[in-house]
Amino acid sequence: MLGYLIRRIPTALIVLAVASILIFSILRLIPGGPEAALAGPDASPDQLAAIRHDLGLDRPFLVQYFAWLGGILTLNFGQSYQVGGAISDLIGYGLINTVVLTLSALVIAVALALTLSLAATISENRWVHAVLVGINAVAIAIPTFVIGTVLILVFGVQLRWLPAGGTPPGGYTENLQFSLQYLLLPALTLGLPAGAVLARFLTEALHTELRQPYAVTARSLGVPRRTIVVRNALRNALPPTLTALGLVIGGLLGGAILVESIFGWPGLGLLTEEGIFARDYPLVQVLVLLSVTVFVVLQLAADVLHAWLDPRIRLAGQ
Amino acid sequence: MRKKEFPTMPRRRTRTLRALTLALAAVLLVAGCQSAIAQQQDSATRSLAPGQAAPQGGDLRVGVLGDMSPKTFLQIGTGNLAGQVVSNVFDTLIRYSRDDLTVRPSLATGWRLAPDGLSLTLDLRSDVRFHNGKPFVSSDVEQSLKAYLSGPWTPQFKRTAAAITSYDTGDPHRVVLRFAHPLSNIFDLLDSAPILDAQTLPALKAGKAYVGTGPFRFDSWQPNSSLRLVRNDSYWGGRPNLDAVTFAIIRDQQSLYTRLRTGQIDVAYGLNYHDQQLATQRYGFKDVTFTGAEAQEYVGINVTNPALSDVRLRRAIAYAIDRPRIINDVFRQSGYVVNLPWPKWSPAYDAGANSTYRRDVEKAKALVAEHGPVPPIPLDYSTQGVDRVVAEIVQSNLKDVGIPVTLIPNDQTQQASKLIGGKFEGIWLLQHAFAQFTPSTLAVSAYPFNAAKNSSNYINPDYAAAATAAWTVADGSSPAALAAYQKLDDIWLRDLFLVEIGVVFQKIATSSSVGNVDWDRRNQLHLKDTYLDTSGRNS
Repeated sequence: MLGYLIRRIPTALIVLAVASILIFSILRLIPGGPEAALAGPDASPDQLAAIRHDLGLDRPFLVQYFAWLGGILTLNFGQSYQVGGAISDLIGYGLINTVVLTLSALVIAVALALTLSLAATISENRWVHAVLVGINAVAIAIPTFVIGTVLILVFGVQLRWLPAGGTPPGGYTENLQFSLQYLLLPALTLGLPAGAVLARFLTEALHTELRQPYAVTARSLGVPRRTIVVRNALRNALPPTLTALGLVIGGLLGGAILVESIFGWPGLGLLTEEGIFARDYPLVQVLVLLSVTVFVVLQLAADVLHAWLDPRIRLAGQ
Repeated sequence: MRKKEFPTMPRRRTRTLRALTLALAAVLLVAGCQSAIAQQQDSATRSLAPGQAAPQGGDLRVGVLGDMSPKTFLQIGTGNLAGQVVSNVFDTLIRYSRDDLTVRPSLATGWRLAPDGLSLTLDLRSDVRFHNGKPFVSSDVEQSLKAYLSGPWTPQFKRTAAAITSYDTGDPHRVVLRFAHPLSNIFDLLDSAPILDAQTLPALKAGKAYVGTGPFRFDSWQPNSSLRLVRNDSYWGGRPNLDAVTFAIIRDQQSLYTRLRTGQIDVAYGLNYHDQQLATQRYGFKDVTFTGAEAQEYVGINVTNPALSDVRLRRAIAYAIDRPRIINDVFRQSGYVVNLPWPKWSPAYDAGANSTYRRDVEKAKALVAEHGPVPPIPLDYSTQGVDRVVAEIVQSNLKDVGIPVTLIPNDQTQQASKLIGGKFEGIWLLQHAFAQFTPSTLAVSAYPFNAAKNSSNYINPDYAAAATAAWTVADGSSPAALAAYQKLDDIWLRDLFLVEIGVVFQKIATSSSVGNVDWDRRNQLHLKDTYLDTSGRNS
């Protein structure tokens, strides 16, 4: 296992290095700079130049890049141009909110995927199967912003059962009930499409397993379909689904930007959006690199887990 | 037969029952006896009986669209949260009346301008302390105005502050400011520059401490989430009604609206005009219009563009634009049509001059015909706010008179960058401020009008001379000043390097339980006398 892991690490590092260059360059290609965002429309060119100098943006491109990279390698992320304060503090605060939201969405997604897939695989009723497939397709097809807006309008504005946005005023621990109420709509918005995608992967994997000789034999011996699915097929169908889960978590982190914006959830997504509009280079660079790093690590973890579950994979490269 | 061989149904039923019980428990936990919404809604339905004294206490929740940004702390008109901290945590030396430019005392109780206009003596209150307990003295005025100049901020009265040549702070409760030349807009600076505690300036610049003399003390800030101020019990101007003010940072206008509707906030600052109208006219929220803090919607023109260098084409644009339609349809009647930047209460306002350019398609067509064929003119607009709709109306208006227009969308930062860099190729849409101050301020502090260098690339020695003349008179409402403003008006109407569309108001919507909301010329809330009827709240 260790050997397999070591073989995968250089590729991950190359991905991160290339990503850092791309992030740094692309941000600077966006028209308008941080000095314009900071100075506002009534500033003069002299004020603009003074801000550029103050931020070190008048230094050569490579000098700026290596200064930033040096900071990253020593875990000194620098100061935010626009929001103010140390980037590590901003990320620390936003990370808690994003992790809470993403984990809640993940729980919803996994629960939804297991329910839909198992129900669709176990049920031999064509109509039940069709309805479940239909629900799955709709959950994938409807854009997140539509789901979020509809949930807000129905449960927040019309029925007034749940808050239309924001985080619990006293924090997550002060009142668990309130925290769950604040969390439910954004987590559902984020988790529904992810759950549907996972369900599709898992259903397909389960159907593949049910066509395997062991499953056919068990059926011919009279073992109920439900028992075969839950006790045997599910375990064998999990490895490919775990790889998909890695992708889904990456998607959840990406989708969090939109959901956080819709629900005013102050996580990393909202921070990234604010940073991009304000051309807050250091903040966005760190946030995007962090996102890439999380994605790379998750993929690595999924691959390692996959290899652990399936010896053919870890032995393939030897 | 299968049921007998595999007796799974009872177990299945038990599991189903268990699952249902768990689901029910979860539903009860989430939507159980206590509701986060119910806890927050009650305040939105209360109102004071006539003659009832303002209630004490309560935590006012204000939804704002922008986050705090220490670097834009002293920037005017950005709508960010820093401005709300400035206005409630800090005091200024004087405050303008909301109705006109009458100067009212604040930290300064009296003032005497020298007859030659070259010095100003300010008598200071002796009973004021900063939030950290330090007494307020004249040296704080000097330190604050010098900090205003030295950055890292980009305040808009820098040029005026830079014209102060010396400070006499020998008396701790009196300060004498001496100027390089008479400054007609010195009170604009004193109305805007917050008095800062010199000892905590480095922490202020880093965004870590906000120590002022104002009615509220800075309590906490969670980036992208909320900012909280608490009452300053020993405020020199009397105890504020509210216990605290919490600014909820909301990034999306639709979220701002829904949170107001659902009672999650008491005040919505930054609604679009449509939602503002809906909230106040259909759903019973109170409409508060920030009179005296007007902005102006305008079309800027790059006079170095080959086609637009011909003033006849610029006049055609001025005649083509359907200003009433823009004010009525886009700004929902929150403003009025003008040709010159001045709001109605301004000493420079001229009702007659404002009717110089009305929509006249035939006149505009004739001017275009005189000019000859016009190539497509790029029109830059910001995708944030309402300018997309205004841009489409202007495009249609100009097409009617034979001027083809290509729309170019930009985000706000890109638009500001092009404006300051003078990079607009043709025409652009934006709003400007500063006409709500002493009229000379517009020509020396607002970049679109700046006589020395502006986005229109319009350079004219007569204009520069008129701007300087307006700025360097001692009294901004004297006949000499009025004559200078008249000269500026004549040049703007004649050369049209920008075409004014209308004066527009900033508005907020509040729940009926909120009263006595005050504001200043920078669109910042002043909440010292604001009250909140919290009798209906559960917590």
